[in-house]
Amino acid sequence: MIVVLLAGLAWLVAGGVLSSVPGHLVAGLRLQSAGALAIGIAGFWELADGGTWGAAFTSTLTPHFGVDGLTGLFLGTLGLIAFPTLAFASAYLQPTGSGRATGLLTAAFALSLVCVLCARDVLTFLVFWELMTLVPAAIILVGSSGRTARRSVFVYLAITHLGSVGVWISLLLLAHEHAIGNSSALSDGSAVQAVIALTAIVGFGTKAGVMPMHAWLPRAHPIAPAHVSALMSGVMIKVAIYGLVRVLVDWLGGPPAWVGALVLGLGLLSALGGVTYALFQHDLKRLLALHSIENIGIILLGLGACLLLRARGADEWAAFALAAALLHTVNHAVFKALLFLGAGAFEQAVGTLELDRLGGLLRRMPRTGAAFLVGAAAIAGLPPLNGFASEWLTLQALLHVPAYGGVWDGVLGAVALAGLAATAALAVFCFVKVVGLVLLGPPRRPACAEASDPPAPMRHGMTFLAAACVALGVAPGILFAPLVGLAPWAEPGPVQPGLSLPSTGGLPTVGLAVFLIGIVPLLWLWRGSRRAARAPSWASGQAVTPALLWTSAGFTKPLRLVLETVLRPEREVTTRSHDGVVQEVSYSGRVPQLADEWLYRPVSRYALHGARWARRLQSGRLGAYVAYLIGLVLVLLLAVRIGALG
Amino acid sequence: MSGATVAGGAAQILGGVVLAPFLPGLIQHLKARLQGRRGPTPVQPYRELRRLWGKSAIDVEGTTAVYRLAPLVVAAALAAAILLVPAAERAPGWGLGHDALVLAGLLALARFAVATASWDVSNGFSLQGASRDLTLSVFVEAVLVLALAVAALVTGTTDLRDIVAGTAGADIWSSPALTLGAAAFAVVVIAETGRQPVDNPDTHLELTMIHEGPLLEYGGRDLAFLQWGVAVRHWLVLVLAAQVFLPHPTSIWWQLALLPVWLIVLCAALAVTETILAKTRILLVPRLLGVAAAVALLGIVTWLVETA
Repeated sequence: MIVVLLAGLAWLVAGGVLSSVPGHLVAGLRLQSAGALAIGIAGFWELADGGTWGAAFTSTLTPHFGVDGLTGLFLGTLGLIAFPTLAFASAYLQPTGSGRATGLLTAAFALSLVCVLCARDVLTFLVFWELMTLVPAAIILVGSSGRTARRSVFVYLAITHLGSVGVWISLLLLAHEHAIGNSSALSDGSAVQAVIALTAIVGFGTKAGVMPMHAWLPRAHPIAPAHVSALMSGVMIKVAIYGLVRVLVDWLGGPPAWVGALVLGLGLLSALGGVTYALFQHDLKRLLALHSIENIGIILLGLGACLLLRARGADEWAAFALAAALLHTVNHAVFKALLFLGAGAFEQAVGTLELDRLGGLLRRMPRTGAAFLVGAAAIAGLPPLNGFASEWLTLQALLHVPAYGGVWDGVLGAVALAGLAATAALAVFCFVKVVGLVLLGPPRRPACAEASDPPAPMRHGMTFLAAACVALGVAPGILFAPLVGLAPWAEPGPVQPGLSLPSTGGLPTVGLAVFLIGIVPLLWLWRGSRRAARAPSWASGQAVTPALLWTSAGFTKPLRLVLETVLRPEREVTTRSHDGVVQEVSYSGRVPQLADEWLYRPVSRYALHGARWARRLQSGRLGAYVAYLIGLVLVLLLAVRIGALG
Repeated sequence: MSGATVAGGAAQILGGVVLAPFLPGLIQHLKARLQGRRGPTPVQPYRELRRLWGKSAIDVEGTTAVYRLAPLVVAAALAAAILLVPAAERAPGWGLGHDALVLAGLLALARFAVATASWDVSNGFSLQGASRDLTLSVFVEAVLVLALAVAALVTGTTDLRDIVAGTAGADIWSSPALTLGAAAFAVVVIAETGRQPVDNPDTHLELTMIHEGPLLEYGGRDLAFLQWGVAVRHWLVLVLAAQVFLPHPTSIWWQLALLPVWLIVLCAALAVTETILAKTRILLVPRLLGVAAAVALLGIVTWLVETA
């Protein structure tokens, strides 16, 4: 196993170096892709094997590396995503200077992800954690250095660095308490345990894009190149989930029930908030980025259910809930990477990702379109694809919270259950809109009528991920069984393709897939290819002109009206009339992000006020600084004198 | 396989596939009688299906496979749902299981297929219906899952066969939980079958249609599949209402014998609500569904308080 992993790392490094050499970008990215494949194989191998390799977790600060089951799962996911994504990039990136730089930085990004996952001590983890944050910022700036890009990168770095303070505090506290890799070091219900739990949730939650710490995510993901967006959404924010699972499940011992309730509440907010705001986006990549928040929310629902059930002593279902969260982590990585790659292909073919200016691409780009359709159905949680399997598991886990918990836990679990059901329905709504506006209907601009499928490496990358969506939907049990064993208190389940859990009706995914996919051709035969009358679509006898086509805002208007009191949409209609005759009507509307308006704007305003006040101290005069120093020394001497410094 | 299982499976298939169109027909018939009209006979939907089966389909210009496959996907998803929902407490496995939460996924699949097809034809009226249907589905799905959760918590499982067995008999009704779940599920029945006050199944005015809208551009056998799908939705939710949320006996034979009676009673109840209630403004329907969700949640709370 370890040989494969090291070979993969070597290929990744060599591929990175090679892709920076002029004329070798394609070969370099292919080598990186092969390296990612090897890392993925090694990761899943480790997960199936169940052993550990290398160092164990240590609370010391000297560098240690090692691999265990949970690391293996995330390495496997990294490989599963990076292998097709980097193959896609080999045709997607232009062989220019910035393309080569992006190629090199992509390898550095993947490498830092691997190192975070394999780190076994706090210092190594934090170093690569920061690198993992910085490298994508560099990639974004290499690709586009306009004002909006610079601003988005600033917001990204500012928020994630503020958040990573939480990661630092929680991990250093854990190391201080010798609790890294040792779940019995902290006493349950102690104050330090509470502080570690809170800082970890804030710190890792910020990186994962949990609401309300999410403001960077819908800004940073859309402006990155497609393959980097796929890696960021598919893997980078999942590394934050890895950190949360490590701290909350592995190291914290038995945290009190409120930790689980907090995670569950944040998950519910992220799931519902993410998908609702995604629904009202009119830019494809921004919409996909907000869906990442939704799916992180679903993962947190599983994780919160795990913590609550564990606190109630329902160990079996706690392990199932954790496995549901981890399975959704893998599933989301697969379909979100697929959708981001598809968006990249559309953008290259058409030149825009504004939803109202696409259309009809399924006919012009059949292979990309078909893969994108599979990804959309998967993220909408439809059977028999992978999103449905993990959402079903999460629903079951949430249903078992009231079954085992007290009254308040139970109510929270039931509300989360209803919230997840509504989230799934909203995701269906959203992706019906996306599929309709991007793939179907008449082309809404000339470029859409002349688009064509991208070159083979890009197509194959997307087809691979679409196949993974189907495979993980048909046989989720093969991955689910070892995931159950990742809970420190549980044993791996029996390996079988479908999902059968106690006190449920089970999810025989194979039967469902065979039935659904098998009966459609039979019905088609029964229907027969009867003579069909060709006709235009009915628009009350009018010809369908482009002005009559539906828009993204129009399709979602009923829901916008229903949720008006919550969302506070803004709309502005200005009418210009001349002599009582209307000459021009212009309309603009948007759904503002309430977290931005109510949380970030006041906070940044007060922070700037504070900075302005603090600036008065920084006069730049030498005399003033000498006076500060003398003042400090005097205060310290005084403190020693009265014994305040012990 | 015992005789009871065979009988349960036979009732499930026969009822879902063949008898389903009778249910909307019966509702229309009873409604017409209540309104002082003669109205169509209850077998009218079968005549409609036969007529549609003989007609040529429509091939809308500029459409893709999404439009052509949608009726088949709807039929496939609802056929799977027929196998999923048992007619009584015993039924063969069919290889699909009987999990209550899978039902929500299958209904979502059918909705996705129809709504994407309306984008494919780019018909404004179809899209209007799809947009409204999807808006309401957000709330309907939450209420559906909550109502099923009440039954699942009371019986301790999400296997629909065990839920039917667990809610049988009189003892279960001594607790208010299932009654509250039943009240919430009643709203689901109205919403999923597209009946007043949520939707008006009789309207053919494009601007007021919800569930009928996306079917506008279909004809012939495609429309037959979709109309059959509408009938199957009636069967699914009414069977669930009868065998989970209404009192039913503990013996499978009595359950099967009582099922037709309950179905007729439920159809009559739907006919009465359609007669006495006008259609609600679409933007107010979510309030109705929100009340239903609150009622279901209250059912869960009472169960939690009782067991705590």
